[in-house]
Amino acid sequence: MKGMLEYSQGDTVIHRLNPLTKMLLAFLLCLSSFVSSHILMAVGIIIINIIVAGMAGIANKAFSLLKTLLKIGLILFLLQIFFIRTGNVILDLPLNLYITDTGLNFSVLLVLRLVGATMPLVLMLTVTKMSDLTNVFVQKLHIPYKYTFAFITALRFIPIFESEMNGIIEAQTARGVEFDTKNPLKKLKLVLPLCVPLLISSVKRIEGSAISAELRGFNVRQKNSGYKKYNFSGRDYIAMTASILTLVVSSFVA
Amino acid sequence: MIEFSNVCFAYDKNNILENINFTIDDGEFIAIVGRNGAGKTTLMKLFNGLLKPTSGTVTVEGLDTRLARTSELAGHVGFLFQNPDRQICQNTVKAEIEFGLKCILTDKNEIEERCLATMESFGFEGDKDPFSLSRGERQKVALASVLALSPKIMVLDEPTTGLDYKECMQIMEVIKDLNSRGTTVVMVCHDMELVTDFAQRVLVIGEGGVLADDVCKNVMSNDTVLRRTSLAPPQIAQLAIRLGEAFNGILAVDEMAERIEEMAN
Repeated sequence: MKGMLEYSQGDTVIHRLNPLTKMLLAFLLCLSSFVSSHILMAVGIIIINIIVAGMAGIANKAFSLLKTLLKIGLILFLLQIFFIRTGNVILDLPLNLYITDTGLNFSVLLVLRLVGATMPLVLMLTVTKMSDLTNVFVQKLHIPYKYTFAFITALRFIPIFESEMNGIIEAQTARGVEFDTKNPLKKLKLVLPLCVPLLISSVKRIEGSAISAELRGFNVRQKNSGYKKYNFSGRDYIAMTASILTLVVSSFVA
Repeated sequence: MIEFSNVCFAYDKNNILENINFTIDDGEFIAIVGRNGAGKTTLMKLFNGLLKPTSGTVTVEGLDTRLARTSELAGHVGFLFQNPDRQICQNTVKAEIEFGLKCILTDKNEIEERCLATMESFGFEGDKDPFSLSRGERQKVALASVLALSPKIMVLDEPTTGLDYKECMQIMEVIKDLNSRGTTVVMVCHDMELVTDFAQRVLVIGEGGVLADDVCKNVMSNDTVLRRTSLAPPQIAQLAIRLGEAFNGILAVDEMAERIEEMAN
């Protein structure tokens, strides 16, 4: 999961797609995993995700993301399966807990949807340069640069905060805070005081980047300041058609 | 006592350190030097189990770091990071110093006592907000909060980066004093003047291993090792090397003056 949103260098078909196409692809794949209520279709969407990742040469990242998401999914699954009490009981457990067929079906679908809907955006962001994304938002979608910049900066800060947090956790463990405990509740309680150093370093960092953006003429930047043009080519239309088809197919397989 | 035996460490199959062997006795003052990216910080983190060796063993005070938890080792090994802001997490200096103590002690009176003693020796005002202090002061607060735990081994990762000369000397004096009272000090440092002034023994890290492990004097006059890691000895030592045999082993200005006086007489 380390460095998940970091750009991964490459020159594959997926890398060369227009950033906007990539975003559309991610959005439609995400939508597809929600419109279908068939388990096999949801699995299919995940497989499509992995194939796309394979084409972009980041299959390893896709699998590690899948692993992480499935871990989160497992918790959701366990919560859901015991809360849904309608349908036919298929497994009786002590403490008045039981598992029903509706519950099982719904929980599996929920997990698969979560995975299928989260993967595309993360994968597409790892194969898109942030600067390209900013430019295309400004040029094609006519979103003001300031808003785009804020959005992109927020995305870009996630991995930075992650590594900062790891550094802080290391520093605190070294002075005796038991972050290496096996008890997750205890760990959660220990994380809270760390919000102070994280917040302080974040504010400092943000102030620093605001000043340096200002110094480099942030305010004079306009719509046509980017020299790169983002035209749509054949492969963009193919990718778009493919993703629309996926959406259509998944909405029919109910 | 710290013992590294056949220690290897790799990040994602990239070998950073290979086959490291050395022992550090109680009360030594050791400097670890090497290029950026040579693996100095990695080596430091092996001392208190923040990183576990890929193979081989690191034994600290009889504890195997692969088995002991870092938070357990914290009572033996104090660790001062380069960036004090990662360590400071409380609203007042006093709370900051107490924070570490509370992790390893349970007796309230003892915590209070040790906290006050530490604050007094550093001359801190307890109710100040550590984040409003200067960089050097923050580094001192971080150091104080580690020293309050009275560790037997003190590991310092570039403790003087970003400090001015006066602040740097203040920190080093505290560390020297600590060492003279029996604490083992291991310090990563880029400043060769500081290394020659304070360290007794120097470990040179490079090319994935220990390139030299000797008393400071010998390392600073070992031209081949220094060149391999692009280290420059302090200017006075460089001058001594150039002046030839008669000035062998001189590392400080007063030593040089003495030698010249001897020769003149």
